[in-house]
Amino acid sequence: MTGDLAAVGGIALHGLGGAKDLPISPELAIAGAVAALVLSFTVLAVAWREPRFRGEAGGRPAPAWLDRLASSPALVLGLRVLGMALFLYVGFAAVFGKNSLVNPFLGVFYVWVWVGLVPMSLLFGPFWKAISPARTINAVFARLSGGDPEEGLYTWPARLGYWPAALGLFAFVWLELVYPNSTELGSVRLWCAAYLGVMLVGGSLFGNRFYEHADPFEVYSTLVGKLSVFGQRDEPDGTRRLVLRSPMANLDTVEVRPGLVAVVAVLFGSTAFDSFKDSSPWIRFVQSSEVSSTLLDNLALLAFCTGVGLVFAVASMATGVHTGMLRSSLPDTFAHSIIPIIVGYIVAHYLTYLVEYGQTTLIQLSDPLSRGDDWLGTADLSVNYWLSLHPTFLANTKVLGVVVGHVLGVVAAHDRAVRLLPARHQLTGQLPLLLAMVGFTTGGLYLLFAA
Amino acid sequence: MGFWQRLHRGWGHVHVVTQEPSHMRITSVLVTLVLALGAAGCADEAGTPEGAATGTTGPTETTSESPSPTEGPGGAGQTIEITVAGDTVSPSGERVEVPLGEEVVLEVTADAPGELHVHSTPEQELAYEAGTTSFPLTFDQPGVVEVESHDLGLTIVQLEVR
Repeated sequence: MTGDLAAVGGIALHGLGGAKDLPISPELAIAGAVAALVLSFTVLAVAWREPRFRGEAGGRPAPAWLDRLASSPALVLGLRVLGMALFLYVGFAAVFGKNSLVNPFLGVFYVWVWVGLVPMSLLFGPFWKAISPARTINAVFARLSGGDPEEGLYTWPARLGYWPAALGLFAFVWLELVYPNSTELGSVRLWCAAYLGVMLVGGSLFGNRFYEHADPFEVYSTLVGKLSVFGQRDEPDGTRRLVLRSPMANLDTVEVRPGLVAVVAVLFGSTAFDSFKDSSPWIRFVQSSEVSSTLLDNLALLAFCTGVGLVFAVASMATGVHTGMLRSSLPDTFAHSIIPIIVGYIVAHYLTYLVEYGQTTLIQLSDPLSRGDDWLGTADLSVNYWLSLHPTFLANTKVLGVVVGHVLGVVAAHDRAVRLLPARHQLTGQLPLLLAMVGFTTGGLYLLFAA
Repeated sequence: MGFWQRLHRGWGHVHVVTQEPSHMRITSVLVTLVLALGAAGCADEAGTPEGAATGTTGPTETTSESPSPTEGPGGAGQTIEITVAGDTVSPSGERVEVPLGEEVVLEVTADAPGELHVHSTPEQELAYEAGTTSFPLTFDQPGVVEVESHDLGLTIVQLEVR
């Protein structure tokens, strides 16, 4: 097994990509933490007392040409074809390509899809929904059988909410961060096959509602897409129109469903764990321990995700509420405020990875069978390492990402608090959540400094 | 050094802007923060030997063939002694600072042949024999480079290239 791996360049310990980012300087980490703390209390003290964000009602209608373009069959079909073409091309590399780190399947899966869906969704809204191969295949099946892809055999049980997506996201981060064979072609291919199988069965049982709740990539992408300027609104005439909103107003339209807090806890906790697992103290501990390192990593990933979820749930419930309001509904109601924090973390942890390994993937994509082909004409490009060569700029960008994400999260939570909480609890009721967020942010900065 | 003063100035701004309408205040605070971080960054810039790196067009690790360990001044960071015995490695996950663009020698003493994986950009695989083998390496791109024993599945050392 070992010799076989070495022969094809498989590297079990390490994920994709070469050198990792340098840790940020302690000064920068402290500056970021202090800024987060000061800005948080500034928001609490001086920000509006009446809710400003109005959910679906917010925003203004997009210009007619933009609305027509967004719903034009050509664009919708074009994106489906693009997603399907990439899926088939990469699927070909996954099935017929070599078990090697230069197989573009790995880069497309781990970098283009997983990390790339964040900027694409930030820019364009629910991007994965538009290109999702599972949705496309489901739509083709429905058309062939004369059915409607929106409708399945059963209605999606509302109480399941986003829980299946949280489970799917955990399955992904487990594969990426814990599973020792995360860069073995066969393992990743098996994961993807299982994903696609579940998606197609789910889609035929519950229709497209299934993807909105259970496709980990779609749920992630749609949540991040709420920070874009594009949203939709039901008009009085029964149509659904494209509206433009500020990202914060758009974020307020996140649909609160059971399991939302679990989704954000997995996304946030796993990103923090990714930083933690490469830190020297953790590696030294794991390697000196008698317990299997995979077991320790599993436990740590689970601890990070559940820890984030529990801290957030407890902090959001530690407030007085109106009589008749269920305190247990608060974690999901406030969970949207974690989304900007997640995006800030993603910038901090995966920016170099996306930019540099993303380019490497484009180069590898020209040679899906790893035999020296140049099918797309990109094989001779070279990677621009400008970002890695400017570590100070990179470190500042990362800290800025974390702090801006934090402030937007605090603002989102504040607005929801002044809308939902009784007037006398609005200030004190926000404090535990604010402290939890400050804790997340300083913890994240500490990891950037110590990793 | 000037860091706390800068922070202090940042606080000053926070107090000044509290007279404006609420959303304006938050915007001003954000702007102040960006400026403060920018200032912190500029101060660091002077201390980072970036000039050495920007000259290179890409990552070029040079692995010279002559296995002659050089004992540099200060010792640490110049030669890193690695011992592989049975299924243990030493060091085991420690962090070592390595100057950008300067040679560092990995001196591997092993009881059996094996292979080191150096996760620089691009990756390098260094095969060693039983006995002592030296690998002189130079890193031209800042970052954290993990050196791992693939056979044992262990991280030996993390080189912090800066």
